[in-house]
Amino acid sequence: MLGGRRPAADGSADGKPPNKSDAKALRRPRKEGRPPLPEVTASPGATLEDVLALREAGRLDEARALLASLDKGRGLRAVLRAAAALEAGDDEELAQLLPALAQQEPSWQLTLQVAAAIDDLARRRSLAGEADRLGAPPWASAWLGALSKDHEEQRRGIVALLFEDAALARTVAARDLAVAGAIVDNDAIARYASFAHGRDLVRRFGAERVAQLLDRLREKPSRAAKPSGTT
Amino acid sequence: MSRSLLTLYRVDSPRLAELSAQLRETLIRDDRPALAQLLQLGAELALRVEHAPRAVDLFLVPEAEADVAPLWASLRRVAKRAALERVWTSDSPSLEGRLRAYDTLREEPEIAEAIDRLLDARFLPWFLRPVGSTGGWLKDAERSALANRMESLAPALPDEVNALVEALGGMDGDALVHDRL
Repeated sequence: MLGGRRPAADGSADGKPPNKSDAKALRRPRKEGRPPLPEVTASPGATLEDVLALREAGRLDEARALLASLDKGRGLRAVLRAAAALEAGDDEELAQLLPALAQQEPSWQLTLQVAAAIDDLARRRSLAGEADRLGAPPWASAWLGALSKDHEEQRRGIVALLFEDAALARTVAARDLAVAGAIVDNDAIARYASFAHGRDLVRRFGAERVAQLLDRLREKPSRAAKPSGTT
Repeated sequence: MSRSLLTLYRVDSPRLAELSAQLRETLIRDDRPALAQLLQLGAELALRVEHAPRAVDLFLVPEAEADVAPLWASLRRVAKRAALERVWTSDSPSLEGRLRAYDTLREEPEIAEAIDRLLDARFLPWFLRPVGSTGGWLKDAERSALANRMESLAPALPDEVNALVEALGGMDGDALVHDRL
């Protein structure tokens, strides 16, 4: 249940994600000799955009520290914080974050956003199937199809979307497909913006990393997360 | 700004569903000749469809655009011919306002809900929803129940509403109300 709390599996915490003071704790030296994250004081207006800018500049530790200070334990910030910990191999922080995150994710919304952001076609289809199993409505699955780079799949998707939600189809045609003459439909723009914003943030962060986190949340090891050299 | 007149149609729901399915398949296959045939397009319009990047794109641009307006008109004409039969047209521009806001109707939740459905375009197929239009759909049983409930309030209702009640009660099958078909 969204927003609900349950004890952590190991009984060491109440399942709550680390808050800002916990984030401070992450900057202390931790076991296994892992160096602390750099001290970052988030300005009041700091956003995920700042986090992504740091990542794009290669300042991954600072990006993680900023994510920790921004994270309120819910939504995309919490997801990306855990994905960043997974990427850094920081099992200690990941273990702290996963119990609370597992109460919210994987949701069909995030799963579809990751599917829409990922390039690998097989991975994308697998995530789309997972989103369907999680209860994605027909319009959402149709939207994903409409975003495909495969022309056949894209056409099938945009036609399905037209029949499911014509206002959204027109908006996707204008924003994502650049159909000549198509314009945004005001009845659909809020829904479009909410989904597309998340998709774009996931893409900039690294969709495969977030997909690996979804794998962890489903307790299935990711193919991409296997140590190199395995077959 | 002029207020519109509502028209009541009997809907052949299976036929409308069949047309919708044919249209969908044609667009998925991007079969331009089949689309031109389905919409009974003349040679000039058929050529326009043939030259579009994809057939579906023609239905993703605003229907007021000169290039696609005749296509939409053809689609609606075909849909009307295939699945809609006009039963009655109101002569009162105030009917929609009365239905949406008349206290006697609004105070009856079941009546208000059914009226809202009859005037909610989301219940219509996408190709029967011109921008800014009013329209909606009631299944046979819902139409019949609404007519009976409204009939019991007849003495307290304005003439234009009672005329609709009489038309709703006098028809059979699913009912579709629209102001722009």
